[in-house]
Amino acid sequence: MALRSISRRFGSRVLSYRSSSVASLHSHATSFGFQQVKEEEKSKLVGNVFTNVASSYDIMNDVMSGGLHRLWKERLVGKLSPFAGMKHLDVAGGTGDVAFRIFDAVNSVKRRALRKVDEDSLEETQIYVCDINPNMLNVGKQRAAERGLGDNKSLVWVEGDAEALSFDDNSMDGYTIAFGIRNVTHIEKALAEAYRVLKRGGRFLCLELSHVDIPVFKDVYDLYSFKVIPNLGELIAGDRESYQYLVESVRRFPPQEKFATMIADAGFEKVEYENLVGGVVAIHSAIKL
Amino acid sequence: KRPIRFIQSASLTFATSGGSKEEALLLSAWQRSHPRVTKTQPLTPAMYRTAAKRLLGAGFTTSRLLRLPKPRPTTIIPFSYCTSSMNHTESPIGNQSVNPNQSDPTAAREEGHRRDESRKPRAEFEEEQARVLAASLRHVPRLGWTEEAMIAGSRDVGVSPSIVGSFSRKEAALVEYFMDECLQLLIDRVDSGLDLQNLIPSERVSKLVRIRLEMQIPYMSKWPQALSIQAHPVNVPTSFKQRAMLVDEIWHTVGDGASDLDWYVKRTVLGGVYSTTEIYMLTDDSPEYRDTWAFLDDRVKDAFDLKKSIQEAKYFAQDIGAGVGKSFQGLMNGVMQTMSTRGGRSSAF
Repeated sequence: MALRSISRRFGSRVLSYRSSSVASLHSHATSFGFQQVKEEEKSKLVGNVFTNVASSYDIMNDVMSGGLHRLWKERLVGKLSPFAGMKHLDVAGGTGDVAFRIFDAVNSVKRRALRKVDEDSLEETQIYVCDINPNMLNVGKQRAAERGLGDNKSLVWVEGDAEALSFDDNSMDGYTIAFGIRNVTHIEKALAEAYRVLKRGGRFLCLELSHVDIPVFKDVYDLYSFKVIPNLGELIAGDRESYQYLVESVRRFPPQEKFATMIADAGFEKVEYENLVGGVVAIHSAIKL
Repeated sequence: KRPIRFIQSASLTFATSGGSKEEALLLSAWQRSHPRVTKTQPLTPAMYRTAAKRLLGAGFTTSRLLRLPKPRPTTIIPFSYCTSSMNHTESPIGNQSVNPNQSDPTAAREEGHRRDESRKPRAEFEEEQARVLAASLRHVPRLGWTEEAMIAGSRDVGVSPSIVGSFSRKEAALVEYFMDECLQLLIDRVDSGLDLQNLIPSERVSKLVRIRLEMQIPYMSKWPQALSIQAHPVNVPTSFKQRAMLVDEIWHTVGDGASDLDWYVKRTVLGGVYSTTEIYMLTDDSPEYRDTWAFLDDRVKDAFDLKKSIQEAKYFAQDIGAGVGKSFQGLMNGVMQTMSTRGGRSSAF
């Protein structure tokens, strides 16, 4: 796992670079996998994808990643280091994987013992799970009920758009988006919204499938993505197209460095990313100051 | 002559590797003011880095050290925290119980002014992190060297406690910041006119180590935790480096004196003295740590006596060697004589 830092420097950006980045963002906004679509249609098409996959989303995650997605999410939450009294927003967190992990991290026995020492934190922890797709949220609420957290006031399920969040400015200590940002039509809008809702010192963390550069492994990964995953989708979820969209959208998403620059452009400081499994997954992190 | 040329060439390479001309000039000014550099003292990069840091402060560390052969990002950033935070008037450090002895204000301002001239703008998040760490130190006696202290510190500064998650090796960052800050305070204390002229070298060493250890007194109840954090394998490189810098600084202040011991051995011996005294201090109940200072004086005396003993042992060995050599020669002469006379006698047969 390699950790590379890009620190935000005071200085002007090269104009030509900016125009090329605008061009590629436009291409992201009008791409649905490898197809070209109109901007307005993209979110509808993505919505359809997730409505279709919602019920088998978790099983497919396990099958496609061989259970590794759990480790990735653990790593994400570890990096966040949640604390009691935290206000956290998990965007595109439909089925609640990350939210449950944060909840457990905060309420674990070890933490509760330490909470006695921390008298200042009288506020209750609040974890907001925001998703644009109500089907995904329903699956999440179901899973919460199964864990006995159905009535817990700490978990709040909100339907909303990552590009236009309904939360106040400077209200969140943490913002995570796991495997969601590539489905957003306008990435820079989502990043701007993340910047808006975070408090000073708040952290932005993004877990996303990303680009692999390692020579032989790249070919193995491509083979696996394009040959195996759509077939698995058909077999298990009965939906080949959605998983074809998934693997294509990963390829169209900006590479790690590029995405890190976009995060820095949104105003974040200390932008870093960490590659997991040679770049199959990358965790980008940043602070708002 | 050789060592001076080494520094000059070092400062040139330093200048060509990206250091500005004025920083190279400052370095050569330091050479001229420190003619004590003798032939026996090898100039390691660590040594001139320490001295250069004193002159050039934060700007040197964050931008320049990154280009030297052994970059150490983890120590660079914490060190620059303390130098810049010393310059911030709103920083709580100056008023903390951490610093029982206020350094002379005019000297500090001069040093700060010199640092400001050559300091490059630091990334904002580093400043913020430094502020959080400084505020967290106030909570350490109560909460220990833990994330909770850092969370409380971040609340004091008015920043979301999430920022604690962005420190790599969180508690270690706090401990390292404290170590760097103490080193800086020691340097400032020395610069602001500490009276060492009337003392013999062993007493100077004692005094400096005592000043440094006294900075830890407010945190003594939680210091074992800090030591255990420093001993984690992940944190050992940084903590070792910080201690090496501290020991280097103390020896540099004490001056070379009439020591013939090897440069590295001197640092190692002082490192041992410092560490043992530090650990002794953890369990010392005597009023004002009297026993610790007595222990320290004994150890320093032992170290200096050790040097004398090694010297004496060397002379003794030389004498014995000479004596043995002489007696061997006498033996050989005797043998040759006997052989020649016997041979003479035998030839008479």
